[in-house]
Amino acid sequence: MSRPAVGGAAVLSSLRRQTWVLAAIVFVVLFAVNAILQPRLLEPAVMTTTLQTALPLILIAIGQTYVVLAGDIDLSVGSIVSLVNVSVVTLFMAWGDGPLGILGAMAAGIAIGVACGVANGIAVAVLRFQPIVATFATAIVIAGIALWVLPQAGGQAPTPYWRTYMGGLAGIGVVVWITLAALAFVLVFQRSRFYAQLMAVGGQRQAAYQSGLPVMGHRIRAYALSGLFAGLTALCLTAETASGDPLSGQALTLQSVTAVVLGGTALAGGIGGAVGSMIGAVVLILIRNLIFFARLPFEVQALVEGLIILAVLAGGVLMTRRAAR
Amino acid sequence: MAMTNPSPSPRPAGGASLQVREATKRFGHVVALSRGDLPLANGEVHALVGSNGCGKSTLCKIIAGSVRPDSGTITLDGETVHFASPHDAEAAGVGIFYQELSLIPQRTVAQNLSLGREPRRGGFLVDRKAERQRAEALLALFEGVGGAGLTPHALVADLTVDQRQIVEILKVVAAEPRIMIFDEATAALDRDQTAVFFDLLRKWKGEGHSIVFITHRMDEIFAIADRITVMRDGVSVMTLDAEATSREEIVAGMVGETGQVRSAAHRTSGEMAAGESALEITDLRVGRVDGVTFTAHRGEIVGLGGLQGQGQSTLLRALFGALPWRDGRVSLDGVALRHRTPSAAMAHGFAYISGDRRRDGVFDIRPIFENAVAASLTAGRQPIVLRNRLIAQVSPVIDRLKLRFAGYGQPVGELSGGNQQKVVVARWLGIRPRVLLLDDPTKGIDLGAKADLYEELARLSAEGTVILLYSSEDAELLSVADRILVFNSGRIVRTLSGEEKTSHALTGAAFDTAAT
Amino acid sequence: MSASAETRDARTAPLASRVVRSPHVVALVIVVVLLALGEALSPGFASPQQIMALLVVAALLGIIAAGQTMVIIGGREGIDLSVGAMVSLGALIAGNIMDGQNAAIAQALVLVPVATFMVGLLNGVGVAFLRIPPLVMTLGMAGVIQGGLVVLSRGVPSGRSAPGFSGFLNDAFLFGLPGMLYVWLLVTIVMGLVLARTRFGLRVYAIGTNEQAARLTGAPVRLLRVLLFGLSGGFAGFGGVLVLGYTGTSFISVGDQYMLPSIIAVVIGGTALSGGRGGYLGTVAGAILLTVLQSILITLALPEFGRQMIFGATLLVLLLFYGRERRLQA
Repeated sequence: MSRPAVGGAAVLSSLRRQTWVLAAIVFVVLFAVNAILQPRLLEPAVMTTTLQTALPLILIAIGQTYVVLAGDIDLSVGSIVSLVNVSVVTLFMAWGDGPLGILGAMAAGIAIGVACGVANGIAVAVLRFQPIVATFATAIVIAGIALWVLPQAGGQAPTPYWRTYMGGLAGIGVVVWITLAALAFVLVFQRSRFYAQLMAVGGQRQAAYQSGLPVMGHRIRAYALSGLFAGLTALCLTAETASGDPLSGQALTLQSVTAVVLGGTALAGGIGGAVGSMIGAVVLILIRNLIFFARLPFEVQALVEGLIILAVLAGGVLMTRRAAR
Repeated sequence: MAMTNPSPSPRPAGGASLQVREATKRFGHVVALSRGDLPLANGEVHALVGSNGCGKSTLCKIIAGSVRPDSGTITLDGETVHFASPHDAEAAGVGIFYQELSLIPQRTVAQNLSLGREPRRGGFLVDRKAERQRAEALLALFEGVGGAGLTPHALVADLTVDQRQIVEILKVVAAEPRIMIFDEATAALDRDQTAVFFDLLRKWKGEGHSIVFITHRMDEIFAIADRITVMRDGVSVMTLDAEATSREEIVAGMVGETGQVRSAAHRTSGEMAAGESALEITDLRVGRVDGVTFTAHRGEIVGLGGLQGQGQSTLLRALFGALPWRDGRVSLDGVALRHRTPSAAMAHGFAYISGDRRRDGVFDIRPIFENAVAASLTAGRQPIVLRNRLIAQVSPVIDRLKLRFAGYGQPVGELSGGNQQKVVVARWLGIRPRVLLLDDPTKGIDLGAKADLYEELARLSAEGTVILLYSSEDAELLSVADRILVFNSGRIVRTLSGEEKTSHALTGAAFDTAAT
Repeated sequence: MSASAETRDARTAPLASRVVRSPHVVALVIVVVLLALGEALSPGFASPQQIMALLVVAALLGIIAAGQTMVIIGGREGIDLSVGAMVSLGALIAGNIMDGQNAAIAQALVLVPVATFMVGLLNGVGVAFLRIPPLVMTLGMAGVIQGGLVVLSRGVPSGRSAPGFSGFLNDAFLFGLPGMLYVWLLVTIVMGLVLARTRFGLRVYAIGTNEQAARLTGAPVRLLRVLLFGLSGGFAGFGGVLVLGYTGTSFISVGDQYMLPSIIAVVIGGTALSGGRGGYLGTVAGAILLTVLQSILITLALPEFGRQMIFGATLLVLLLFYGRERRLQA
């Protein structure tokens, strides 16, 4: 059935195919409910703080999306975040407060993230390890390295670094700018050749291979991207906590998978997108917010959160199924 | 299908553009190719024929770079080449058609046609407009025969089988390869589409491309091929000029002896009508099937004919409870039935054998034992596995089908395709069904094995089993079935019995439109 | 015993199939090597008492991983990330039922696995009927169970094991071997029989290999999957009761440490995550291997980071043999 050529009908039909629609609807609903329970949410300063909390998850979810789109999964992202976090803090303390030192440490952190990603990619695409188990294993190794770099939480990030992060630029919070930059990247990247081929690799790997696509290379690149975004996440976390903690990224791994599925990306690959994952990440934060501000009895908070997440996950899966037909 | 014979093309000057010499390949214990040769000249259409298991697909995959030969050489324009991946072969100018295996269902037609070669804008972005235009230009080659819905924006997942095949063909063409390999590229195409495709082949040949063409339809070979290479049991047996050879010579090369497939003994249809009516189907509607009514009698082999995809498979699967019906009535020996699951159908004595053994039949990494007793486990209703008893149910059939295997513990994937199918057949015959639903069961089986199966069918028929047989091969239907119901667009348009059962009538009826 | 145990995977990477015959044999060889290494580094490591202690700990993991094994064999990316939470749940409920009373042992042993079985069924319904990927479903369910644990544990104390039960498990029961090992032996025998000699077991392999074909042979595919996840929950709950018996009391997140190892034990035992092959013997070997490995790492008195790195690296090496997928070519 061909799509209608013009007009509102075309937009609607195109929307129905988008996988992030459900997440967007849930986001709007949650935001509204949150705003009702916590009217201060609508204040720019509070929104910025909320975004600040959400930003690490947003970034990590973006990276995870690309790996999942390729048909794989990266369960080591949390460990990579921890490693980059402690490495950057250690470098900060070694290289000092100056701009060169700070930028150098940041660059090194990103490089470490990418290196971990490439290692994952080699394990999965070249050595043909099963992704779930392989990235479990690399997660353990990377977490071990993080422990080696910084056995106990501590260290200090330079003031200019975290001040800048927490501050504003042209009246808007830096975190907002970062989020917008991430969104811009995601939207542009979506139109790239690499992305189109990545979707093919995840959609039907055998067919992509037979079409001559460099499947192995693309899978490694996806993991490298995931590592890159894990590195960026760590930079944000480091700015937020202003210190290092070898366990800082632990919870992020499973949360990133949750955000990705919530956002309409199929774990099987080939369907979905990072926009949905960004929305999914925010949705998760809003759920937590909601629980808190609903002033539910403390005991049931975790349970209610778990139930809501399960419900939304199921919804996300059903959405991707509709898009895949 | 009327194909115009091409005027004889001049023998190309100069050497062959691609030579495969003495290629061998084994997969585990299975020898797929023991001596594959293919001399492909410049600007010719070269047909590659042989029964299933003869190695022609493997040979093509070697040329296309997706399989690495264990030994042998490939020479391209005189120079030896090695293809480590499909990428290498593509770079060298080889394009291969795969049966739907290289399309990404979640992507659009335009995206699939440009896969790997997406037009650029600004260095790394995709130029969507150019992508669409490229798709439009390619789709125009099949203008008029593609059907509604074959547009650049359509998702491949939404296309019909023949449309996907067209897209797959166009994908090969899009890369503008010097050498094109079409492996059963006409399988899902209708007559008009095939005619357009052959015109394109002739045009490309004239432009200097070299084409390898695999088909299981003899008339296509003589319609389009310049030369023919016959393969048998992993060996390239001979290469012939199309003008200088005949159907019989080719078949002899494929089979290895001038043996005809023995047709199953069957009674004339006059006696059949006298048999008890067993399976009555009234106005059945399911999926494509749009109101089918007929009665099958005890001990009768009812053939389902017509072109592929006209509802035959759908009907069989619905009768087996694998597809839910919209409407209609089915009764067996007077008892009304409405199977919602295969196990319900099995409880009434129904069995279903699919021709797509990879998707529907075989548990490839499991041992032969588990494959052979899978149905018996359900039918027997015993929660405990009594190994000997279960084997006793299937071993007589396995013996009669002349299956050779190392032991029941052998992984079934080590057997050849035809032998795997024999295990599947044994699985179902082992439960002694009252109604046997056969959905192109001999696809991929060599001639000898087919004969063994037909004998088995004759036996069952004589014992009173109702047999419905759909086959994509006319010859098989004509020789095995007592009566043939010809399907078109989900309805039975004609019934052929007795003297009417000729391939002429069958083909003619297949193109009849149903009376409204 | 089983055709399944003997099935040679014709598609294993060439290296593996040349060097290795069956995963559990290799795993056990590695165990022996590790024991020898441990003995050399720390005399007494491989003494009979120590080995027994190791086996008891391995038994806990092995029994918890029994259900996981079946879920993974069942294919379709089958995996159960909620086993950890179920273990915790099992331990909590058992502790409350038993509460130090020998008379309540039987009650706990019956009620707890039944309860966690039913929770597992919910996982199965989500996976089989709503077609939610197992990773997602069990992950979400784990969160719900953990939330539920918070609720439950506020109302009740964490409870205690009955002395008779703990005694049976930990002290010498028969021929000097602790009762825990006999429980494991029983589980092993039951698993072996179920997987190889029951219609259910054969069908689990079938749906893990080719679900469509299994459906066409009359197997009730969806019900089977629901049952698989129920069994996974049941075994995890049963494991929780044993954990309680082993330690005497428990705490709210006692089960978390078993989740990841349960999956690893299954995989390095030769059962592929893609399903359709493998068996429980492999999991037994995998559980023992993991336990011995962890024990050696502790004995080596390496700092935490060293332990983790070596553990992870060892896993990767083991995966070279058992965790690999097919090449795309040919």
